[in-house]
Amino acid sequence: MLRSSLERQLNILDYALSSLWRRRLKSLSIMLVFAAVIFLLASFQMVTTSLSQAAGRALARAPEITVQRMVAGRQETIPLAYLDKLSAIFGIRKVVPRIWGYHFDASNGANYTVMGLDPAVMPLGESLNLTLAEGRFFTDSEKGKAVVGQAIPASMGLADRRTFSLFRPDLTLKPFTITGVFAPGTELLTHDLIVTTLADARDLFAIPPDRVTDFCVYVANPAEIQTIARKIADRLPDTRVLTRPQIQKTYQVVFGWRSGFGSICLLTALAAFAILAWDKASGLSPEERREIGILKVLGWETADVLAVRFWEGLLISALAFGVGCLLAWIHVVYFGAALFRPVMVGWSVIYPPLALVPNLALADFLLIFAFTVMPYLAVTVIPAWRAATVPPDSAIR
Amino acid sequence: MLIELQQVTKIYNQGRANEVKALDEVSLAIAPGSMVCLRGASGSGKSTLLAIIGCIFPPTSGKAAIGGKPLSRLPDRFLTIHRRQFIGFIFQQFNVLPELSVLDNVTLPLLPLGVPPRERRERGLRLLEQLAISHRKSFAANQISGGELQRVAIARALVNDPPIILADEPTAHLDTRLSKEFMKIMAGLKAAGKTIVITSHDPLVTEHAAVERIVDIRDGRIHVS
Repeated sequence: MLRSSLERQLNILDYALSSLWRRRLKSLSIMLVFAAVIFLLASFQMVTTSLSQAAGRALARAPEITVQRMVAGRQETIPLAYLDKLSAIFGIRKVVPRIWGYHFDASNGANYTVMGLDPAVMPLGESLNLTLAEGRFFTDSEKGKAVVGQAIPASMGLADRRTFSLFRPDLTLKPFTITGVFAPGTELLTHDLIVTTLADARDLFAIPPDRVTDFCVYVANPAEIQTIARKIADRLPDTRVLTRPQIQKTYQVVFGWRSGFGSICLLTALAAFAILAWDKASGLSPEERREIGILKVLGWETADVLAVRFWEGLLISALAFGVGCLLAWIHVVYFGAALFRPVMVGWSVIYPPLALVPNLALADFLLIFAFTVMPYLAVTVIPAWRAATVPPDSAIR
Repeated sequence: MLIELQQVTKIYNQGRANEVKALDEVSLAIAPGSMVCLRGASGSGKSTLLAIIGCIFPPTSGKAAIGGKPLSRLPDRFLTIHRRQFIGFIFQQFNVLPELSVLDNVTLPLLPLGVPPRERRERGLRLLEQLAISHRKSFAANQISGGELQRVAIARALVNDPPIILADEPTAHLDTRLSKEFMKIMAGLKAAGKTIVITSHDPLVTEHAAVERIVDIRDGRIHVS
């Protein structure tokens, strides 16, 4: 009984395949349009996953808590004197002062991120060199040294030169020598980054010697991050306390929001395709009507004809799903998601050309499957049922 | 296999403005292994009668039975199962699927029965050899002649080995030679014990020696001759 049932389904599948082949032009055109829609949706999903994973990797070494000072709702420099107040809070392992800001380079229209810190006082200072593709991190005693992101030398047109200058606010030039370049794996955060000593950053931005832009706070027990953040906020009410999980979440939300916005636009395309599929599936041609009539006269049941239609829909959508996902993978991995990169990566002049390698889980594929194949099968099932109920006498009229 | 119709009436579009009474209290019995010709003008109701015998749809009223099994109240699914078991159809227009191969057309009725591909092929080839068109087995149906198409349609009607063969105006599109050939095949099937019902007004059919009985149908009623 089971064997006969299986043979029957295999026979029907065989017929569905031959039916698709007989209408290969129509089948191929539907499959290609469907694959294009899946390609767009899957690309968005893969880019989001890649960027979230890249952000996660890059933020793994970020400070657990960042403390900034707020005045009139805007960020201000924070007095170095706060360092002692912070260090006194139980559970805090280390407090590292930092200067962090943007520098607009009018000559090439690019915005660089400049960060001043003392690597020697950072808890993971000795491992910072591991984030470099070449060179080394400077020491605090060195003057005019910088570690830069991958894009900086090319953006400034340095060629083989290792020195560059940036304008101070009074338009005098501040020279730097490059001691290291960040690794490509950290590009999401370091692509446009210039890291220098606290003193050089203070000099570049003309920040008073008793001030920095923020403090990086490292805690003894990572499980206590939220508690310590709350303590800091209580003790220094004029500060804004940002935790690493919050920043990670912000990245996820930003990428998720952009992906969601794009997905909504693409779902409109999917809906249009679904309407097209419905229209195509419900408009039976005289030949199709006659074919179903013949099959039914020859002893095919309504369920058999429905199964043929179901297999046809499943084969088309599965093939489109495979082709769409494969093209999306190629688009994301080998072409760096060229279609969506500006939308997803941000508003920066220097877009990070980071290598996107989505580590997709089964859940991602199921999500794409649920948003594409399932609606296709759903919108074709009623027309398929209507087709299957064509009376057998339509073949002999 | 005995075919019995008692007081069978068929009304299309019942209760609507375009209601048509195609059959009006028709009673008929066809003995197993006989060949009967239903003769009548276009619109006389002979195709409707053939469709009821062929379990394509039930009568509006009256009783229809094949081999003692009543068909009148059967739902569509059971009519299909009866049709699959007992009936082989040959159509006026042949009704083959033009892009399918000859062999695939012949074996179409075996697909929903779950017959494995190898057995399907063997059964189909055996019939094509019997009907002398096995050399065309791989040709698409739209690449062969009318006479060959007719034999494909016969092979398809026989592939399930049904006890009853129904043919609707089978010679309407055939020349004299092919019509005679068709009737010769039908006579052979009758000799093999099949019950054959043919609708036709072609003298080559109605006057053939193998036809035991002609049933004249006019305006949905039977006139036995």
